[in-house]
Amino acid sequence: MTVDALAASPPAKAGTAQGPARAQLDLELRNIRKRYGSFTAVDDVSLKVGKGQFVCLLGPSGCGKTTTLRCIAGLEEPDDGGILIGGKEVTQDPPWKRDIAMMFQDFALFPHMTVARQVGFGLEMLQRPKVEIAQRVQQILTSFEIAALADRKPASLSGGQRQRVALARAMITEPRILLLDEPIGALDYSLRETVMLELKLLQQRTGISFIWVTHDQNEAFSLGDLVVVMNHARIEQQGAPEDILLRPATAFVAGFVQGNNVFRGRMGEVLADAFCIETGTGTFLAPRALGAPPVPPGTEVSFSVRAEQITDQLSDRHVNRLTATCTAVEYFGSVRRHILERSDGEVLKYDQFGAHAARIVPGQRVTLGWAIESTVLHGRAGA
Amino acid sequence: MSTIRPRSAAGYWLALPAAAWMLAVVVVPIVLLVWVSFWGGRAFSTASPLTFDNYARFFANQTYLKLVLGTIVHTATLMVLTGVLGYCIAYFLVMKVRSPGWRLALFLAFIIPFWTSTLIRAIAWVPFLGVNGVINQTLMFAGATQSPIEAFLYSHTGITMAQVSLYTMMAAGPVVYMLNSIPPQLREAAMTLKAPPFVVFRRIVFPLTLPGVVIGQVLVFLNVMSDFATVATIGGNKHALLSNLVLLFYEGSQIRAASVVAVLLMLCMLAGVVVALRVVDIRRLGA
Repeated sequence: MTVDALAASPPAKAGTAQGPARAQLDLELRNIRKRYGSFTAVDDVSLKVGKGQFVCLLGPSGCGKTTTLRCIAGLEEPDDGGILIGGKEVTQDPPWKRDIAMMFQDFALFPHMTVARQVGFGLEMLQRPKVEIAQRVQQILTSFEIAALADRKPASLSGGQRQRVALARAMITEPRILLLDEPIGALDYSLRETVMLELKLLQQRTGISFIWVTHDQNEAFSLGDLVVVMNHARIEQQGAPEDILLRPATAFVAGFVQGNNVFRGRMGEVLADAFCIETGTGTFLAPRALGAPPVPPGTEVSFSVRAEQITDQLSDRHVNRLTATCTAVEYFGSVRRHILERSDGEVLKYDQFGAHAARIVPGQRVTLGWAIESTVLHGRAGA
Repeated sequence: MSTIRPRSAAGYWLALPAAAWMLAVVVVPIVLLVWVSFWGGRAFSTASPLTFDNYARFFANQTYLKLVLGTIVHTATLMVLTGVLGYCIAYFLVMKVRSPGWRLALFLAFIIPFWTSTLIRAIAWVPFLGVNGVINQTLMFAGATQSPIEAFLYSHTGITMAQVSLYTMMAAGPVVYMLNSIPPQLREAAMTLKAPPFVVFRRIVFPLTLPGVVIGQVLVFLNVMSDFATVATIGGNKHALLSNLVLLFYEGSQIRAASVVAVLLMLCMLAGVVVALRVVDIRRLGA
């Protein structure tokens, strides 16, 4: 897919009378809340999306990410809180008055319209002249390499083709924000990586903000400028992908992100440069930042350590140590993952990189360790 | 290769009882009917010569031709009325009634009257429409009129009112089904593409329910064309449609004339169905 057609006419919707600070933001959510009866779907969610940002809402199913997206689209009205698009208050506005477009999980193509007709639908609604619509439809179909499908109806298209039609239909009006609800979830695995790269390039060239909902962390971490991890209707953590990978703020985030080992315990002694955390498998040290301990001794806390930060080749640096029994060894490309059982029965993951020979085999008991700075203490005990 | 054999002998044997039944009660009588309509001469026997005289006599009579036209206009009126009312009811049931329990209850309320026969339901209108009927009593009590309105019973208006109530749910049923099968995301997608609600209805919802509308219209068309009972009970003897003419001729022992009208009625119905199927691909109903 080439993106020249869209890049040639970027949306010129910068600074307005609203003032520069606000105009910088494409989207702002202020403490939005949505309940269905006694079930809270979205709870106190706040989010700021800068101009042309790629945001991924990541979380397990039922965490409220899709409801949040629907609130932004205007398909749901939040019970509380405010939504600003491009600095303009839109909380009460219906979808057709918002500067957004949305791509649905199953694409929601209109079965009775030809590809050309439904791609042009958005422009028709904006009451553009017929000649202009025909031109721009032709242009976008060509750039998405689906011009040959112009007269076909959705039923005769493949999954990949439908995805392109849905994207073309949403992008043609050049909205400020494009909302995508698991946009590649319905595609074959073999297609996903290519489509992800294309979409990322498209987003960068057009400068349209993307809000991408997914439960797949690979998607979120490879696409997002900003990753927002949600659980139980709340935002657990938001930040750059490496922030969330390397410094999970809660036990939930650490557990949800692949490759973390999560430990729960009690805050113990506070040393000059480290905290002692007492757990069922021993006492571990976490680095102490400047200032007082975040929680008083005795409080329940959790921490995590990444599987690749652990080693079986111990030195003086690796002061955190534990013994575990290897139960399985798995290979993911160039990564060799050891699954071990800790003395408290929990699973411990230990990753080795490179193609050297295995040192640990299933059944073997080993002592592993990691450095103080590899321990990531969570801000709160977590869910 | 599939183990399901589309042309196994068992399939034909399974179809045989129904086919035999249809042959005996539908195909053979229709063939006889068409045959009788061409009988000439004075004697009523299978030896009669075949002629177009019966048809010529029918088409030479202005009154009969007016009756054909009147039947078509009346049926078209019914189709429009039941179509609009039926669509509104279907839309309300599917789009506005959120609770499944209420939807079922309301749907049953609409359907239950169909448990009684058409004739009984037609007769049930008499105490409503009559000079001392419920409608007139109500109007007079409310002061809307001084003397009872006679136009309801034994009138064209009365027939129309009764038939609308009889056939509206036939128009609504298929639309309910089609509306139910439209995924909500389609309407949402249209809204996010800047379509306000009425445009969403006109461009997305209505075109997708069109096969249901047409099927409902075909049902109403066929039923109204062949409904002689309502016309006879509500219209008295003052009003008649083609189907009543069949009965009239039959009761007058004019079997050949009755056959002619019956054949013409069937041709009208066939033509109507063919036109309806040209408008919309009915096979899409299952898709």
